Amino acid sequence: MKRTYLGEFEEIVLLAVAVTDGQAYGAALLLDIGRQTGRDLRLNQVHSALQRLEEKGMVRSAMGEPTAERGGKRKRLFSVTAYGLRTLKEIQQVRAGFWDRLISPLKMVVDL
Amino acid sequence: MKKNAHIPPAPPQLAVRFLRWFCAANLAEDVEGDLHEVFNDHIRRFGLKKARRLYWLEVLGFFKPGYFKKQSQTYPSPFLIHDMIGNYFKIAWRNLLNNSFYSLINCIGLSVGLAVGILILLWVQDELSFDSFNKQADNIYKLENRVGTGSSQQIWTATVAPIAGFAKREVPEIREAVRMTYNGAHTLFRYQDKVFSEENTFFADPTLFTMFDYRLVHGNPEKPFPDNYSVILTETTARRYFGDADALGKAIACGNVHFTVTGVVEDFPENSSIKGDMVFPISLRFKDVYEGRKDGKNMDNDFSEFDYTTYLLLQPGRPLQDIAANLRNIHLRNKPDDTDLTYLLQALPDVHLYKSDGSGQGIETVRMFMIVALLILIIACINYVNLSTARSLLRSKEVSMRKIVGAARIQLFVQFLVETILLFSLSTLLAIVLMHILMPFFNQISGKKLVLDFLKPHIWQVLGATIACTLAASSIYPALLLSSFEPLKSLKGKVSVGLNEAMFRKTLVVIQFTVSVILIVGTLIISSQMKYIRSKGLGYDKTHVLSFYMRDLTKHYEAIKSDLLSQPGISDVSRSNFNVVLIGGQTGTSNWDGKQPGETMMIRFMNTDRSFIPFFKMQLKEGGNFTDAPADTRHFILNEMAVKTARIKDPIGKRFKIWDTEGTIIGVVKDFHFASMKQKIEPAVFIYDPGNMNRIYIKTTGTDAKKAIAAAKNIWTKFNADAPFQYAFLDEAFDSLYKSEEQAGMLFNIFASIAILISCLGLFGLATYTAQVRTKEIGVRKVLGSSLTGIIRLLATDFIKLVMTGIMIAVPIAWYVMDNWLQDFAYRMDMPWWVFGFAGVLALAIALLTISFQSIKAALTDPVKSLRSE
Repeated sequence: MKRTYLGEFEEIVLLAVAVTDGQAYGAALLLDIGRQTGRDLRLNQVHSALQRLEEKGMVRSAMGEPTAERGGKRKRLFSVTAYGLRTLKEIQQVRAGFWDRLISPLKMVVDL
Repeated sequence: MKKNAHIPPAPPQLAVRFLRWFCAANLAEDVEGDLHEVFNDHIRRFGLKKARRLYWLEVLGFFKPGYFKKQSQTYPSPFLIHDMIGNYFKIAWRNLLNNSFYSLINCIGLSVGLAVGILILLWVQDELSFDSFNKQADNIYKLENRVGTGSSQQIWTATVAPIAGFAKREVPEIREAVRMTYNGAHTLFRYQDKVFSEENTFFADPTLFTMFDYRLVHGNPEKPFPDNYSVILTETTARRYFGDADALGKAIACGNVHFTVTGVVEDFPENSSIKGDMVFPISLRFKDVYEGRKDGKNMDNDFSEFDYTTYLLLQPGRPLQDIAANLRNIHLRNKPDDTDLTYLLQALPDVHLYKSDGSGQGIETVRMFMIVALLILIIACINYVNLSTARSLLRSKEVSMRKIVGAARIQLFVQFLVETILLFSLSTLLAIVLMHILMPFFNQISGKKLVLDFLKPHIWQVLGATIACTLAASSIYPALLLSSFEPLKSLKGKVSVGLNEAMFRKTLVVIQFTVSVILIVGTLIISSQMKYIRSKGLGYDKTHVLSFYMRDLTKHYEAIKSDLLSQPGISDVSRSNFNVVLIGGQTGTSNWDGKQPGETMMIRFMNTDRSFIPFFKMQLKEGGNFTDAPADTRHFILNEMAVKTARIKDPIGKRFKIWDTEGTIIGVVKDFHFASMKQKIEPAVFIYDPGNMNRIYIKTTGTDAKKAIAAAKNIWTKFNADAPFQYAFLDEAFDSLYKSEEQAGMLFNIFASIAILISCLGLFGLATYTAQVRTKEIGVRKVLGSSLTGIIRLLATDFIKLVMTGIMIAVPIAWYVMDNWLQDFAYRMDMPWWVFGFAGVLALAIALLTISFQSIKAALTDPVKSLRSE
C-alpha cells in the first residue's frame, strides 16, 4: 500500500493534534510538544508542519474565537481528519510489527 | 476579578508591522495571535526584555518564501506570472550572492560612478538652464557694446541709459526694454529698531516685471513703482524686515529718505542672471544723478555713462545685425565721436555662459565637466563589462545547458540583461543615497545650491538618461558574449573565448588608465598654475593690508590717518577710489600728444595721492610721484602699458587729457597686476583727485593685525554709527579673483581621485579573477621551483603593460588639453614636464599596489592545496 510519507516532526505534531482533538492551535501545540519532547521549538516550525499536514489532507482547520491573550486575534483550530487518523494508526502498526520482532532477540541477549 | 489591572505588555510594534507587511493575509491573523500567546508565555518565563527579543526571532522565523508564496497565490502578482522572467531574477539573484565579492566590486564601482556622474550632470544641467525659465527667453536680448580700437578693443556689458528709449521709439522690432543698474547709493536701511545693510539691490525699469517672468506675489506688475520712493522686495527680504506680517505699504528708512514697499516679488531663481534682494525704480537713480546738473546732461541725452544693463524684447524677423546697426546710428547721431562703438545683441539664454561676441565665458568649464562626467561613467561601465566578461568563462557550462535544453539565444540575452538590471537597480539605490550624502559637500565646493528634489522632472531627466545610457553601454556586450557560447564546445571544456575578447578587455583597461592619467595630469597642472599665479610678482606689495570704503570717514581722512598711524600695529595708511586688486573704472575718453584720429585707448583710471605708490612699494620707472600740491590735479601718472599703447616717447612732461581734465604726465609707474592673471595688464592712469577717494588702505605689521582692526573699527563707529564695519584683507580680495579656478581645481582633484578609485576597483577584480583562474598553473610552477617574485612578476606583467600603454596614450592628450586650458591665462607657467612623469608613476604605483595584493596572495598559496582540489 502506498502511503503518504510523514516526517518525524510532522508525526509528532499530528499526534499532538489528535490528542487535543478540535482544540489544537499553533501556540498551544508549541507548548505541549515542547513539554513532551523537551525540544527547543520555534513557532514557525510548528506552523510549517501544520501547513504541510493540511496540504496532505491529514488535518483540517477552522477559525475560532478571538481571545484577549492573543491580542484580539482569532485562533486557527486544527482537528485530525479520518485520513490523518488512519495514517497514524498505520504508522503505529508498522512500528508495532517491528517492535514485536525486536523484543525476543533483546531478551535473549539479556539472558545470556 | 483581576489582581492587578496593569496593561499587559505589547510585543514590539515594529516587529508586528513587519510581520503584517510580509506575511500572507490568510495566514497573518493566526500567526500573529499565536506569536502573541507565545510572547506572553515568554514574559512569564524569561521576563519582558528577553521576550521581546525572542518575539523578533520568532517573527523572522516566518520570514521565508512559504509565507510569501501563499500571498502570491491569493493575490497573484502580474510580474511573476511570466515564470521565465521570475526564473531569470532568481538565477540572477543567486549569481549575485554566489559571487558576492565581484558583485560588491561591481556595485561599489557603479554606484560611485553613477553618483558622481549624475551630480556633475546636474550641475551641468543647472548651468545650461540659466534664464530659460522666462517664457519670452527666445525673444529677449541683452544689449552690449564693443568699444576701443586695435589691441584695446573690448566688450562693455553695460550700455548708456538713453539708448533703450530711442530704440523703443525708433526701431519697430524692439517692443520693450528694461534697464537695470546696481544700487550703491542706498545701502543702509532701518525698519523700526532693526538696521539692515543691503549689498545686492538694483534700480530697474518697471517693465522688468512684465518682460521677464519674475512674478509679483503682491503689487501691480503693470505699475510696480507708483512713485520714486517705491521699492519692491523679494519674499526672503520681506521676511527679513517684517517677519510674517504683510509687507505691502510698510515704510523703510534710508537715512532721511523713506521708501514704501509697493510689491513683493518671488525670490529670483538660482538660475537667473538677474538677481537681487530689492528693486528700486530707475527713475530715482536718474533723479539722483541728473537733478540740478549744470552741464545740461539728462537721462535722455547722456550718451557717456555706460552704466546700464539693457535687455530688449524683440519681434522675431529682422536680422540682429541690422537692428544693431540701427542702434549704432542712433548712438552716433547723439554722440558723433564714439566712432569705435558698435552694438551687440545677445540672446538671453546665452548670457550666462557666453560673451556677447560669441566667445565662451563659462561654457568651457561646463563642457569640461560634462566630459569628465562622461569619462567617469565610462570608467564605471568598463568595470562592469570587464568583470562580467572575464567571469563569463565560468558560466559557459550553464549557458550551454540552457541552450541544449532549448533556450533560444534571445532568451539568454534577456537573462543576462535581467542580471545587469538587477545589479544596476541596487547600484542606483546606493548611488542615490551617496548623492544625498555628497550633495552639501558638492554644493559647498561648486558654489551652487542644488537640491535633490525627486518631485522635480529635471532631476529625473538626468537620472533617467544617465542610467539608461550606462545600462545600455554596460549590458549589451556581456549579454551578447555570454549568449554566444557554443554548447558542444564549451561542454567539452574548450571555451572559444578567443583573442578578440581578451583584446577587448585589455583595451578597456587601457582606456580606464588613459582617462585616469589625464585627470591626474589635469589636477596637477591646475594646481601648479594656481601656485604660479600666487607666487608671481604682482608689481606691488599687498601683504597685511586691509581695506574698506570709508563712507562718512572720507571728509575726515587727514585726521583719521594721523590717528591711525599713532596706533600700535599700523605701519602705513593710504587711499584711492577703487580697490587696487581689481580696478573697476575704465574709460575711452582720453587724448594725448600723437593720438591718431579715430583711435581709442581704453584706460583704467584710479584716484590716488602721494602716499599710494610708496604704500604699495610700486616702482616708478621714470619721473616722480604726486606731491599732494594743488597743482597735482593737473598731473598724471601712467603705467608702462599705457605709455606703450599710446606710443608716447619720453612721456614725462607730455600732455595727457582724460575726460575734460587736461594736464601733464609727471611719472611712469612700472606695470603691476590690477586684475586677474587671466587678463593682460591694461593701460592705467593715476589721477590726483582729493575729493574723490573713499577707499582706505591700512597696512598692519602683521603680528598686531587684531589691534589694527580694532583701532579701525573704533574710528569707524565714531563716524558711521549705523553701518556695519566691513573690511577685507587684500589677500582675500586677491584670492576671490581666482575663486572659480580654485573650485575647478578642487573638483578636478576629487574627480580624478574617483576615476582612479573606480579604475582600481576594476583592476582589483580582474587581478583576483586572473589569480583564481591560474591557481593550478601557479601551483605547478611552484612545484617546479618557481620563486615567489617570479610568480608575482608573471601575474603583474600583463597588467603593468596595460597601464603603461594607458600612460603613453594619456600624455599627448593631456598635454594638448591642458595647454589649451593654460592659453586662457595671459600669464602662465611653462608646461611642467615633471607632471607627466609624476602622473604616470603615480598611476603605475597605484595599479601595482592594487594588483600586488592578489598576486602575492596567489603566489603564497601552498601548491599542495591548489593542486589537490579537483
